[in-house]
Amino acid sequence: MTLSLSSLPAAEADPPESASPSGAGTSAEPKDQSDQSAAFPYISAESLDLVELLRNAHHPGAGAVVLFSGEVRDNNRGRDVACLEYESYGPLASKMIRDILQEAKEKWNLQIVLAQHRIGKVAIGDTAVVVITASAHRSEAYAANRHIIDRIKHEAPIWKCEYYTDGTHEWGNNCNCHSITGDNAKHIYETAPGPSATSSGYPGPSAPPNQSY
Amino acid sequence: MKVHVYAALKEYFTPEFELAEPIRNTDELKVCLLAINATAGEILKTCRFAVEDGFIDNDFKLKEHDTVIIVPPSSGG
Repeated sequence: MTLSLSSLPAAEADPPESASPSGAGTSAEPKDQSDQSAAFPYISAESLDLVELLRNAHHPGAGAVVLFSGEVRDNNRGRDVACLEYESYGPLASKMIRDILQEAKEKWNLQIVLAQHRIGKVAIGDTAVVVITASAHRSEAYAANRHIIDRIKHEAPIWKCEYYTDGTHEWGNNCNCHSITGDNAKHIYETAPGPSATSSGYPGPSAPPNQSY
Repeated sequence: MKVHVYAALKEYFTPEFELAEPIRNTDELKVCLLAINATAGEILKTCRFAVEDGFIDNDFKLKEHDTVIIVPPSSGG
């Protein structure tokens, strides 16, 4: 699921103090984005609270907020899935997600960037991973968001086990980039290598590296 | 040296175990792991190794009290 919130063009052009109303449920004050983990751990054994995350994703300088929720579906490769179970090597996964977010924040000039990934059993329809990006305009927020989820899926030491309705289970859907790149540390992403030029004319950052870990 | 394995590797090794023999680098560790379970060769080729919160390569000098994490390919999301 991808949800994007975009203010009206007039609001995007407004000065920051008027771009974000001070009503309940909004947070007009810029957040310290050096590390989200105090409020929202990168790896969580608890259900991910999308509403609370989104409530913390508003910024007076951001006219666009994109929320991606990776959710558990009930089938994969023709098999009926009962649930997924995730595990991670937490210290490294948290560090990598933090670094991925920080790099994206700098490359796409994001005002807010948040991400969390579940571990433990996750039911059908529940959120396994969430990425939120907020930026002045939507092109950066969309591009950064997709780049972040690609990198988390390929690089972070997080693994899923699929439990099927027939009672069997299987660790699977691993990143298989090494079979193409010949290097366990090099990945091929679904996303284009960075918005160096977009249809909106946004002079985005240069191509992000194809490997950082 | 302590060794922790995750995900599909748990079908080849116990999740956490200790190795008594001195192991100086990841190549020596792979040999030791294959001696424990020779069928793990293919999956070990796809794995990376980490100590604490960083990946290591074969140049990293492993120490007796290190805990080495064996990291199979990711499947998050």
